[in-house]
Amino acid sequence: MSVDASHPGEDLDRLLDGRLEPDRALAVQAHVADCPRCRRELDAIRQARTVVRERLREQPVPPSLRAGVMDALDRADREGARHAAPRRRRLQRLSMGLGLAAAAVLLFLLGRVLGRDDFVRAAARDLADVRTAALPLEFVTADVAELERAFARAQLPFAARVFDFGMMGYALAGGRVHRIEGRTSALFAYRTDDGRTVVCQMYEGVITELPPPAEQHERNGIRFHVYREGSLTLVFWQEGRTLCVLSSDGPADEAIELAYAKAVRVD
Amino acid sequence: MRDNEDRRARFEATTLPLMTALYNVATRLTGSAEDAADVVQDTYLRAYRTFDNFRPGTNARAWLFTILYSVAINRQQRTRRDANNVSFDDVEERFQQYLEADESDESEFGRFELNSPEIDTALRDLPEAFRTAILLVDVQELSYEDAAAVAGCPVGTLRSRLFRGRRLLFTALHDYARRTGYLKTGDG
Repeated sequence: MSVDASHPGEDLDRLLDGRLEPDRALAVQAHVADCPRCRRELDAIRQARTVVRERLREQPVPPSLRAGVMDALDRADREGARHAAPRRRRLQRLSMGLGLAAAAVLLFLLGRVLGRDDFVRAAARDLADVRTAALPLEFVTADVAELERAFARAQLPFAARVFDFGMMGYALAGGRVHRIEGRTSALFAYRTDDGRTVVCQMYEGVITELPPPAEQHERNGIRFHVYREGSLTLVFWQEGRTLCVLSSDGPADEAIELAYAKAVRVD
Repeated sequence: MRDNEDRRARFEATTLPLMTALYNVATRLTGSAEDAADVVQDTYLRAYRTFDNFRPGTNARAWLFTILYSVAINRQQRTRRDANNVSFDDVEERFQQYLEADESDESEFGRFELNSPEIDTALRDLPEAFRTAILLVDVQELSYEDAAAVAGCPVGTLRSRLFRGRRLLFTALHDYARRTGYLKTGDG
């Protein structure tokens, strides 16, 4: 594709992607303002980027693939004389989860009708507010231990445990002492390089206060209630007398796996 | 024994949240759900075997995409499915004509309102290298540097592929939208 040297060419793409140095960005923007051809080109590549980013449908992972991956890992463990978690137990958990899902959807809808989903909606609202900075983070830190110390100083009625999702690409952005439906909560937020947000909250409560979930999973003896609010996924689980919720604007599978990774069983 | 269980748990926690993204890229690289599932499974197996080389705190997404891309391309070469030997000169020419078209020609300009199947078709018809650049940067939102590392090319090459890919994709979608009446001009 020939590029006329008098036009910015590839720098239009870098401008679109926010990858130009400030001085060069200003120069390209000034050129675009005066050049109908480059305005049209910038608009064209913006349209191309927007349609693939926003309109390309996400293909769900087939359950058989997930099972196949686990199977392959089990085999690799066995080949390496490593301990393999029994395959049957995984399949039982998977099929039980799938079986419950259909019934749970109906119960979830019923729960909405009865207006019992306040905690769910409140958690979704808090995520949206953190994302838009409408809910500011009181403690801005990427240090998990520092945020835990800040919560300890706030003398919450429970011990707040801040999760470290660094290995999964979610960097801690900070936290705040918050109120969810009138109860004190420890709220902490994470962001990825590509703009996804996860907000977690811990507060005193019991899982039976929640409406019937869209999905219910069990792992390591912990029950996870999964809710959907528009494009958001909310995963609740119980830790002693504390209820934890992880809210995410990323893929549902990812949110559930994040919760699996950090939930701790407290008998 | 305990070390192995920990290793497995760390691997699952690091990689399972990314399965949807991996599967979606694989589907669009291979053009087949069945092939994509094989590629993803192979990717997980290779990643598991080399997990000790992965440094916690580094970009797991880029690491997994690198393995996935390598698996997918090796399979493609084995099965000779890459049919990107067609010329795109005429498409590029049409893009230049679009840029130089008379602004008063309303049938030429507007926004296309297309859905996933049409976009998938246009993506599938792109040369593999351009499709990969778009999938990694525009869909998965990787940085230029990470996308270049995944595709195994210099950053400048990646940018050049993205440059051409976006214009080819736009031209294909624009042609289709104009042909089928999905090009919305003016207020309509």
